[in-house]
Amino acid sequence: MANNRKKRSEKGVLQLLRFRTTILILLILVVGFGAISVRLAFLQLVQGPYLQEKAVEQQLVDTTVNSKRGTIYDAKGKILAQSASVWKVVLAPAYLETDEQRKYVAENLSKILKLDYKDIYKKTKQKTYYVVIKRKIESDEREKILNFVDALTKKYAKMSNVITLFDDYRRYYPYKDLASSVIGFTGSDDQGLEGIEFQYDKYLMGTPGRVITARNANQTDMPFEYEQNVEAKDGNSITLTIDETIQSIAEKYMKQGLINNSVVKRGVCIIMDVNTGGILAMVTADGYDLNKPYDLSDADLDAIKALPEKKRSQAESEALSAMWRNKAIADTYYPGSVFKMCTASMALNEGKVNDNSSFYCGGSVTLYDHTIHCHYTAGHGSQNFFQAIANSCNPAFIQIGNLVGAEKFKKYYQAFGFSEPTGIDLPGESDDLFFANNKMSETDLAISSFGQGFSITPIQMLTACASIANGGKVVQPYIVQTITDVDGNVVKNTETTYKRQVISTETSRKMCDYLERNTTQGGRNNGYVAGYRVGGKTGTSEKIGNSRKGYKDYIASFCGFAPADDAQVACLVFFDTPTGASYYGSQVSAPVFVDIMSEVLPYLEIQAEYSDSEKKYVDTVAGSYVGLSVKKAQSAAKSDGFTTTVKGDGNKVIYQMPSAAAKIPTGGNVVLYTDKESKKNKVTVPNFVGYSVSTVNSLAADYGLNVSFTGVTSSSNSVSTSQSIAEGSEVKAGTVISVKFGGGTVVHD
Amino acid sequence: MAPFVEVMRQADVNKLYDEKLNRKQERSRNRRQNAPAPDPKRKRRGRVRSRIFERGMGLDLPFLLLVLVLLVIGMIMMFSASYPTAYYSPKINDSYYYIRRQLIYAVIGVAAMLLISFFNYNKLHKLAPIMLGISYVALVAVLVVPSKIHRWFEIGPINIQASEITKFAIILFFAHWGSLYYDKMQYAKYSVVPGFLIFASTAALLILEPHYSGIVIIGLLTVVMLYVSGMRTFYLAIGAVILVVAVIGAWATGILTYAMTRMDGWGQALVYTTDEMWQTTWQTRNSLYAIGSGGLFGLGLGQSRQKYLYLPEPQNDFVFAVVCEELGLVGALIILLIFALLVWRGITLSLRSKDRFGKLLGIGLSSQIGIQVVLNILVITDWLPNTGISLPFFSFGGSSLIMLLAQMGLILSISRTANIEKQ
Repeated sequence: MANNRKKRSEKGVLQLLRFRTTILILLILVVGFGAISVRLAFLQLVQGPYLQEKAVEQQLVDTTVNSKRGTIYDAKGKILAQSASVWKVVLAPAYLETDEQRKYVAENLSKILKLDYKDIYKKTKQKTYYVVIKRKIESDEREKILNFVDALTKKYAKMSNVITLFDDYRRYYPYKDLASSVIGFTGSDDQGLEGIEFQYDKYLMGTPGRVITARNANQTDMPFEYEQNVEAKDGNSITLTIDETIQSIAEKYMKQGLINNSVVKRGVCIIMDVNTGGILAMVTADGYDLNKPYDLSDADLDAIKALPEKKRSQAESEALSAMWRNKAIADTYYPGSVFKMCTASMALNEGKVNDNSSFYCGGSVTLYDHTIHCHYTAGHGSQNFFQAIANSCNPAFIQIGNLVGAEKFKKYYQAFGFSEPTGIDLPGESDDLFFANNKMSETDLAISSFGQGFSITPIQMLTACASIANGGKVVQPYIVQTITDVDGNVVKNTETTYKRQVISTETSRKMCDYLERNTTQGGRNNGYVAGYRVGGKTGTSEKIGNSRKGYKDYIASFCGFAPADDAQVACLVFFDTPTGASYYGSQVSAPVFVDIMSEVLPYLEIQAEYSDSEKKYVDTVAGSYVGLSVKKAQSAAKSDGFTTTVKGDGNKVIYQMPSAAAKIPTGGNVVLYTDKESKKNKVTVPNFVGYSVSTVNSLAADYGLNVSFTGVTSSSNSVSTSQSIAEGSEVKAGTVISVKFGGGTVVHD
Repeated sequence: MAPFVEVMRQADVNKLYDEKLNRKQERSRNRRQNAPAPDPKRKRRGRVRSRIFERGMGLDLPFLLLVLVLLVIGMIMMFSASYPTAYYSPKINDSYYYIRRQLIYAVIGVAAMLLISFFNYNKLHKLAPIMLGISYVALVAVLVVPSKIHRWFEIGPINIQASEITKFAIILFFAHWGSLYYDKMQYAKYSVVPGFLIFASTAALLILEPHYSGIVIIGLLTVVMLYVSGMRTFYLAIGAVILVVAVIGAWATGILTYAMTRMDGWGQALVYTTDEMWQTTWQTRNSLYAIGSGGLFGLGLGQSRQKYLYLPEPQNDFVFAVVCEELGLVGALIILLIFALLVWRGITLSLRSKDRFGKLLGIGLSSQIGIQVVLNILVITDWLPNTGISLPFFSFGGSSLIMLLAQMGLILSISRTANIEKQ
């Protein structure tokens, strides 16, 4: 090049200029433009899909459309849990421009939704487009909000997007606390938290839908149109094996039992179909209102208030989890004497005992360093096998257990299903608690034979009882019968599962016979239900561990089934820590069992078979004799099986007592009134409590009243315990008074 | 090196272009001479028409056409990019806010361009040192005047960016200098020394603003002007070596990464490092999203989604990202081609100027457009820090558009004198 020249010639400079300009053009247009073209091509073609995905990710807003949760029905189709439409109020405060608008919106929203004005006013100042004001408002509030939005858009411009209502659902439980521990409840996002709601959440919840829309960076709509909808699929519905009627009966008597016996730690009642394993009722009393699952009882609240402030929140959460707990499957306890039905079955099934086997009880047994007392400290003396069961004699059962032996005992323990959870379709089922390393010493075997030393759940006990009653088959208990989709198609139907045969049919038949005789002999306190053949066993077990300070705590239980010759249902009643006059299973739980069964069995259309002595106490329906002549009325009543008393001088019957269709015992007295004067005559009700059946009968006849007998009247030592109309009340002649009888042998086991 | 130089000389496109034009003019002269003698009555009218015609020919029509095409495309795209921002902005709330203003500026600018094309650019010769002085005053003034960003100063309704003045002043001054000392440019004291002094002092003031991309443009313009004026390639090579060594050194010691982080997360738009950095690189990242979304053919005119507030200020430096999204790679490359034609035409027509000052001024002004386009696209594609390089004819801005069109007017003025002289 021209580097050496000192001074450039005109022509040389021009040539250089042209040359360098060419270089310049090449640099800018080829290198520069080439580089940016390549860069753009790389970004748009190679990296394009990635960058586009990222861009779309931020441009599209995915809104979830809640699906409607499935309904929970009882066995008869009654709705136990249902979802209904509610709405969510969302504010986009960024659209509000002036303070006047903010105040106007805050004022009206706080008034309609009954919320604090200051809170809402604070929210209206935020520069966002999505602030949730209130969740789950109902249609009346929704109407008011819609009216307000109308007013707002008329008053100010550009207000149509300020308030939005989003669809939502709320869970309703029409029966409030019925079967609360079983059904469970849902959380704020409609997710199941307890019970069936939790266990079957994936079936109930359905598939939420989605609305995908393009949004600008402020999250408001873009004119650019893109919208994609995925319809929400509503959840499946569930039909339980639980029957609302049976559940209600059980809950009614369980609540009464809690009060009568001052029970501290709730009670459990489970009723099960022994042949299918379907649970007809499962009660943890007291329950809680499923519509307000976070509201504690007043007693709990008072107890928490008494605590120092630091411990309150912990106490509150403990009280809540205790309230929600399904004790029927989550609690373990010593089954106590109820378990003797299993020990007896083992011995019988192994052929170690027969009807004539003899056992001796001297009031206590000493094993190594332990002395085990019988509840009857004087000793039962010599007993046969049935007497040992009926006496619930611990020393006798130690001998029976010994005959079975530890290995066989463990084998049967497993076969009855105690060594594993039953697998019932409910959350939170506990495992049993057997001896360490599955090893049983002689002492362990001794106490195990009468149900102490190992812990099981109530549902395990009832399942074992059901297997004794149904011919020896261990069934799988379950609570959900069918799951159906929105269109009514069956998604899932539960079939009965027999796990194994634990005892022979013959052993089962014999055990049913023993247990039936046990109740018949013991009367109301052993679970006898008038008119029905019931088998069952009482139990009182000492609680170890978490007892109250300074007390010995007990669990009073009763487990039985009916009818004894063809078992249909089994029922377990269990009270945790009764602190009333008695803590024995026979006095606390057995009467509750009787009350429940005497309503449930007729409901299940199980035919009552009354003994001759009972028949006269069975109620008959009175006919209508009003309007008839006195003679005709008398003969009609006679043919219905009643005696008559005529009061007044008229020819025609103008009124009768008891009235038509009332229930009175066969052979009862119908008072026929023939004029208005005599109708005014009244009788003072005497005291019926504390007498035998025959005394009550003659008392009633003397006063011209009718008595309806309830409870155990068959036993020779039955004693009346209560009357439906109080002593001293003024009633019309012929009124039916219901008198309840109790009694029989009380076994303090 | 020699054979390569020879090849380059032979392939001199400008020379080819000149020769072709000379032949064309020769032919038309011949045609006029061979034409039959016109009627005396019509002759007068013909002469008048011919004068106007000649003036029209004086303007380089292809160049003017390219300017107007780019201006129209630029305005359409700027409108497309800007209306959502203008609509959603609570202060503006008017989709036509930017385009209405830009239209007014464009009308003023085109008028100024046509007016200036009649202006004798040689008058600027003497103004060059004064212009450089004004540039320094402006650069100092923006630093002194209290404002949020020390880059603009406001005169009435329009903002003027100080570096706009500086860029013009640098081109003007070195065109003046290079034409004055055309025969001494091989000496360092006539090329490297004044170049370095002016660049260093200007760069120092720009660092204070700070306006890094301004420094890059000023640096490139200085080098271009000195190189074209005849500075020895040796000095340029030394400068290049120093630059390369500095960059490698900075990279090796980690200073480069640090600097990249400091410079608004340069090159890290898609990488999440810190929350703060994620915010800082927001604009560049969304620019990349927009470009990538375009693909080969784009989403269609007006169909950009990124302009819906995701890409902040899409009417300014990042307008071309929206262009890429809406028109795709094909549309972007066509626009780049038009830019390239404009630069090429500008440079080649300047070369035909009769005087050296005109040549250098025209080359400088044309290159400036090319450089700005390249740098702008490097910014929006995250290869340069995001520090304010507008895209000529596209980006919104009154002062810069008017200034740009005025400079185009100067190039037209150069073309006019070149053509007239040739006749």
